[in-house]
Order: sequence, then structure tokens, then C-alpha cells
Amino acid sequence: MSETLSFKQNSDLHTALSDPVTRTLNSAQLVGRWLNTDRGTTGVREILIEQDGEEFMVSAVAAGADGPIEWPRTKAEALANLEEEAGQRAVALAVTFDFDFMRAETYLRVNKGVLVIVLFNVFLDQSGRSNYINREFYYRQN
Amino acid sequence: MKFAQIRDRVEIDREPPGPFEVSGLIGTWVNSNPNTTGIARMVMTESGGKFSLQTYAIGPNGLIDWATTAVTLFSAAASSRVAAGFTCLYDFGFAETRLQGMIMKGLLVLAQFHTFKDNSGRVGYFVREYYSLDHGRLYE
Repeated sequence: MSETLSFKQNSDLHTALSDPVTRTLNSAQLVGRWLNTDRGTTGVREILIEQDGEEFMVSAVAAGADGPIEWPRTKAEALANLEEEAGQRAVALAVTFDFDFMRAETYLRVNKGVLVIVLFNVFLDQSGRSNYINREFYYRQN
Repeated sequence: MKFAQIRDRVEIDREPPGPFEVSGLIGTWVNSNPNTTGIARMVMTESGGKFSLQTYAIGPNGLIDWATTAVTLFSAAASSRVAAGFTCLYDFGFAETRLQGMIMKGLLVLAQFHTFKDNSGRVGYFVREYYSLDHGRLYE
């Protein structure tokens, strides 16, 4: 008996979504230590992505005025990336770093061997700072 | 002020921040891909200082109206009040979709995070699509 699936758009019905292996497909492309291509960045300098089965953990180190600032090691949500990279589908990661005064939401994906992150920084204090976006690029450390 | 990275460190006037400059964000955004199987167009509006997004996606029988949801605006820097992007959340009951939009040279790059809360066993998925502001092509 076939199951009727709820949907809000056609891509919800993509057959790949019903295959659990899609969640970790080609995850090796993401796993490892990544360094910012901009040595003078005022944002995140490096990212470490680790995998244990279907679980992914992300750590980050940002540039600080008095030295590097370590961001909390955080569990990421793995999502099937329906776009294809070099003819192959791969996983993308969504992760939210929580600080008491702000939170940084980001997604990480590999595009032509470059790790691309887009950070949405939300301030939770009343400092008057605007929530802001920054996009950065990383290469894999050998 | 606390900081998680150098670029969080900005000088802020003691006066409350002014409104966002949103002229580059308000309007109808249309998918650059006429064959999309996802979000066809979005309408960003402002009323009384609050911003909302109405989304239309492609379904088997035409457009599906996701209705309107509130958005959070983002600038390009902590000291800027020019809108450079947004986030919002749709809860459909059986699924949730989080949207993250970033404007680059007038193009809206939309990251979509779709997760399922039903028992269908479907894995969550990520999609990135591109939109331009009201070029006249409406999906019917």
C-alpha cells in the first residue's frame, strides 16, 4: 500500500528524501579542519567538522582582539543537499552557536572544494547592534 | 559589550537605533529558475515597522500559498542599518522550513532548511536558490 505524503512544494516529494543514506552522503567532503582563505579575517578563522556515524559536531575559532576566541563545540543538523557538486549529491550542515549575548546561525556546504559558510549573527543583548550577516570561505588543511 | 569575534566590536550611539533602510528588500522576488520545484516567488512587505514575507511554492497542481510569516532583518555589519538579508520560519505542522536570505548585488540568495515532523521517514534537506526583484515573470 502506498503512503500519501504531505507536502508544501514538489521537492518535498523527491525520492532521495526517503533514502536514509542521503543524510550522510559524501560527508567526507565536509569532515576535517578548514582554514579561512582570508588571513586577516575579523570573523571565524577556522572550523573543525567531525563525524561519528550520522552525527556531526562543529567547532570554530574566531579572531579576537586579545587572541583567538573558541566557539562552543556544537552538534550540527545534517541535511540532504539536493544540489549536485561535481555530479554527486552531498550533505550540508546547519548549526547554531549559542552565546549568552548572541547566537550565530549558519549553514556549511562545500562548493568546488571550498567550504562556504554564511553566518547570521543575532544579538540578544540590548547593545543596539544590528543583527548582521557575513559569508566566508575556507580551504581544507592538509 | 561582549564579543564572539572582532567584527562584533563596533561603536554604537547612545540613541536607540533608527529604522532599517529596506528599499532593496521590499517587493516581489521571483525565482531565477523557471523550472524550480520549490519556492517560486516571495513578497516582502512592511507595515508599521514590522516586516512580513508571503511565499508561493510550486505544487503538483500549481502554486501553493504558504501564507505570511514575520521576518527578522539583518544588515551587513553590526553598525549598519541597511537591510542585507532576513530569516524567517514556517511551521506547517508536518514540516518546518527555515529561510535565510542574503542580498548580493541585488540578487537574493535564499538558503532553505526543510525538516519533517511527520512519520514519513523523509530526511531533512537543504536547497539554495536565487531570486531577482520583480522582473515580471509570474508562475501561474
